[in-house]
Amino acid sequence: MNEFKGHVGIGPAVEGIALAAHDNFSTRYDLDRDRGIVSRPSHKLYGENYVGRILVLNAAKGGVASAWMLREMVRKEMAPLALLLNDANPVMAQGAAFAQLPLIDRFDTDITAAIRTGDHLHIDPAQGLVRVLR
Amino acid sequence: MKLNDLEQSMLEGAHGRAAQWAIDYQRSVGTFFDARDFVPVRVIHMSTDRETMGDAGVAFLEELAALPPEERRPRAFATADFRGFDEETFRFLLPGRDLVAQSAEAVDALGKLGVVTSHAYVNDHSVTAPAFGEACGYSGTPSVVYMNGIVGARCNFEAGPSSLAAFFTGRVPHYGFHLDGARHATHAFRLDFTPATVVDWGVVGALIGRCLNSYWSVPAIEIVRDRPTVLELNHMALSMASYGSIAMFHVIGVTPEAPDWETACGGKTLTPETLSQSDLDKFYDEWGGAGEKLDVVALATPQLDMPEIVQIAELLDGSTVHPDTTLLVYTPIEIKEACARIGLNGVIERAGGRVVHGHDFFATFAKEIREAHGWERLMTHSVKAVNICEGYGYKPTPAAIPRCIESAIAGKVLP
Repeated sequence: MNEFKGHVGIGPAVEGIALAAHDNFSTRYDLDRDRGIVSRPSHKLYGENYVGRILVLNAAKGGVASAWMLREMVRKEMAPLALLLNDANPVMAQGAAFAQLPLIDRFDTDITAAIRTGDHLHIDPAQGLVRVLR
Repeated sequence: MKLNDLEQSMLEGAHGRAAQWAIDYQRSVGTFFDARDFVPVRVIHMSTDRETMGDAGVAFLEELAALPPEERRPRAFATADFRGFDEETFRFLLPGRDLVAQSAEAVDALGKLGVVTSHAYVNDHSVTAPAFGEACGYSGTPSVVYMNGIVGARCNFEAGPSSLAAFFTGRVPHYGFHLDGARHATHAFRLDFTPATVVDWGVVGALIGRCLNSYWSVPAIEIVRDRPTVLELNHMALSMASYGSIAMFHVIGVTPEAPDWETACGGKTLTPETLSQSDLDKFYDEWGGAGEKLDVVALATPQLDMPEIVQIAELLDGSTVHPDTTLLVYTPIEIKEACARIGLNGVIERAGGRVVHGHDFFATFAKEIREAHGWERLMTHSVKAVNICEGYGYKPTPAAIPRCIESAIAGKVLP
C-alpha cells in the first residue's frame, strides 16, 4: 500500500476514487458547475465528470471565485469529494475551509505523478496523509 | 497559531458569534499556511458577486446579518464590489434571470452588516488605496496583485469568506506576502521589446503566469523603455494573477520595492529569461478567429477608464456596429455618468454599442449569457477575460481596442 505525506490539510477524512492529471485548477476557469464536468477545452481533464471524485491536480490558479464557489458546489451536490494539489493557494484553502471540503497539498512527491485516475484513496487531512488502497 | 488575549477572547465568543466564527475560520486557514500569528488590518475589500457567492454564500451572509448587532460588530472598514447593476442591459443579456432581484438579498445583508457596497475595485480607478507597507485584507485577485506590486501594501488573496472574516476580526493570518522574505523575487524576466498596447502587456502577464504557476512565485521584470502606465501594469498584473495565481511582482526601476535588481531579489542573483515579440505572437496565434463571424465584443476586466471610452467613441463616431454583433463597454458607474455628461455615451449608443455599468461581463453568468444568445466568438482587450471565457465555452480572440471596434463594425474578426 502506497502512502504519501503532505502538509496538514483542511476538512474531514474521506475515501473515494481519484481523477488525476498534471494540470492546474480553478473552479471558475475550468468547470461547468451546473453539469459537473471539466469544461475548459485545453484542460487535460476536459469532458470528465468530477463530481464525487478526489481531484488530483498540480496548482491552484487565479481567481477569487473558488472561495465562495466550493461551498455552493457542495450544497448543489456538484463538488468533488476532495482536492489533492501539489500547491494550493490561499483562495483554494479559504474555499475548502468554508465548504469543509477535504484539501491536502505540499506532498513529498509530485502527487499528480504518484496517483492515477481510478486509484482508490483514503485521505486524512488532519495528518496530511493519502493512502492508495487500490 | 499564536493567539493574543483579544484573539483568544474572540475565539471563546466574548465578542459575538460573527467574530467567533471568523477567528476560528481564519485560524484554520492560517494553520494551513503555517502562519505564526495575526496582523491587524484597517481596510478590507470583499468580492461578492452573485454568481460567485451562490445561494450558499448569500444564505451565510443573511445568517450573519440576522444576528443582534452586538453579535456582529465590525473591526475594520470594508467595501464590497457590488458595483450596482445596469438593469436594462442585464435584462437583455440574461433574459431568463432577474439578476437584480437575486442580488438584492446579498446587497441588503451587506448593508446591514456595515459593508460599503462600492461600485468599483481599487484598480478600477476609483477606490482609495492603502499606504505603502500597510497590511490589508483585499479579496479580488486583481486588487491583491495591484496592492502588493504597484502600491507596495501587503496582502494575500483574502477571498470572499476570508475578507468577510477579516471584517469581523480586524486582522488576517500573518503569512505569505505580509512577510518581508516572501516579497523578494524568485524568478526574473527581461523584455527585449516594448509592448505596444495594454493587450500586449496582458499577454506578457499571461506568459509569465503560465510559466510560474505558483502563488509563491514572485516575478521581477526588466523592461526596455520608460515607465509603463498604471493601466499597462494593471493589465499585466491581473493577467499574471489569472494565468498563474501570481499575487506579487516587481518591475525593476518602476514598482516601489524594486529600485534595482539587488533590492527586488533580496540580495539573490537570478538569471532573467527573455520574452520577445515572437512569444507574444505565438500567444495571439493560439486564439485566432480571423475572418469568423463575431458575436460579441466585451471590453471589460478591468472596467474601462475615461481615456479608453474617449477612444472608443472616436472609433465609432459616424459608424454603426454590425447588427449581428453586440458591443459591450463596461465601466464604473461614476465614470459612466461623467462620460454621459460630455456626450461620449450617446456617440457609442447611437452607433449601436452599450455602455454598461455594474458587474463585469465575466462575473455575471457569462456561460448563461452565451447559451441564451447562441454566442460563440468573443473579442476583448482583456487577456484575463480570454482565460475565463474560454472555460465558459466562448471562442475568445484577444485584440487591442481599435481592432475590437473595427471588427464589431465589420461583424467579423478582422486580422
